[in-house]
Amino acid sequence: MSQKAQLKSRSTAGPPWANRASHWLIHHAAHKAPGALSDRLEEEWLADLEARASSVSRLRFALGVCWATRVIAHEHQPAIVAASASAIAPKLLVLQFFTSGRFSNRSTTFFLVLSLHVAVFYLVFTTLSHTYTKFVRPEIENVSVERRTPDDPPPTFPKPRVAGAMPVEPTMPNVAVPLDPAAGTPGLSEASEKTGDSADPSSGEPPHVVRLVAGGPGAGFPDPDEFYPSRSRSLEEEGVAIAQVCVNPTGRLTQDPILVSKTGFGRLDTAAIRLARAGSGHYRANTEDGHSVDSCFPFRIRFQLKK
Amino acid sequence: MGKSDGQVRMSLQTLRVLEAFLENPSEQLSGADVHQRCGIASGTLYPILLRLESAGWFVSKWESIDPASAGRPRRRLYKLTSTGLKRASEVFSSFSRGVLA
Repeated sequence: MSQKAQLKSRSTAGPPWANRASHWLIHHAAHKAPGALSDRLEEEWLADLEARASSVSRLRFALGVCWATRVIAHEHQPAIVAASASAIAPKLLVLQFFTSGRFSNRSTTFFLVLSLHVAVFYLVFTTLSHTYTKFVRPEIENVSVERRTPDDPPPTFPKPRVAGAMPVEPTMPNVAVPLDPAAGTPGLSEASEKTGDSADPSSGEPPHVVRLVAGGPGAGFPDPDEFYPSRSRSLEEEGVAIAQVCVNPTGRLTQDPILVSKTGFGRLDTAAIRLARAGSGHYRANTEDGHSVDSCFPFRIRFQLKK
Repeated sequence: MGKSDGQVRMSLQTLRVLEAFLENPSEQLSGADVHQRCGIASGTLYPILLRLESAGWFVSKWESIDPASAGRPRRRLYKLTSTGLKRASEVFSSFSRGVLA
């Protein structure tokens, strides 16, 4: 041991780290040599290392003995295996096979390259297959949808708010019909009469009859065709909606209109609401004895394609 | 541990090592000396030396010096055996006949 210390102390040529690295490499290389040769080789190599002048030459020498150790260990391997095979179970032979140099160098490189190829091909194929399945479109299936007809039973409407006690049957003006105030108003033609509460039957005078006229869309009311959704036209959607609106005497909406009956198509229902809102200011309020009053009334909105 | 003579692989580097020893068969050479004469790298040189020693062509022993007085560590010296000298001579004579041993 003291001799090894002496050897290390004398190797002072070149940078210290190079000498330390050379000694470290030789020490570990000899340690991996067969046990019977380990001490001898370390001392022999350290002695021959002293004959090298430059630090570069020493490093080359140390790296060379590392390779020499592998060769020596490989050449002495069969003798070791033969000696141990008679005494130890065959499991050690298998262990010796894997720990020996059989899997080093060319074999290890071959398996490494093979593994890399397998990994690359796996990634390429999985990526391509993923891309292929991603652009496969599902088959288009035709589903027959039952068409809703506008012949559904009409809903019940809330009764209009009338000052008198006698209810008046509401009328259903159709806004699809061209509106012409001068040509006549459907509401007027269906005006109803009722007897006022202030009439006194005992006075002998004829009871005062309040003339009620139901309201509806008036002059300048928007045309439903302007609100007909183009998508509904292309799909040939038709239907009738009934909107309930509340207006003041000037015909302006006092509440947001609601649909009490729907067409069965969402787009047409939305268009009906928009039409009812757009008609604010163009409604005719209910009249009592010719005077417009705050009133609520339903009216029909028909969306029908022109042939 | 030893190998028979026929199992020694005769490579170019092995021939160069033998040639260095055949210059003076009675001379004892260390690994460093062989390197200086042949220029063979250490990774190749020492396996050849051990291979020839195992085959009985070489014998080796430690240099008989005092490291403290010599100023350097003792070296391992190799020397041709009579068997090694005979076999090496046969190898090189076969080259002269144009036959690789």
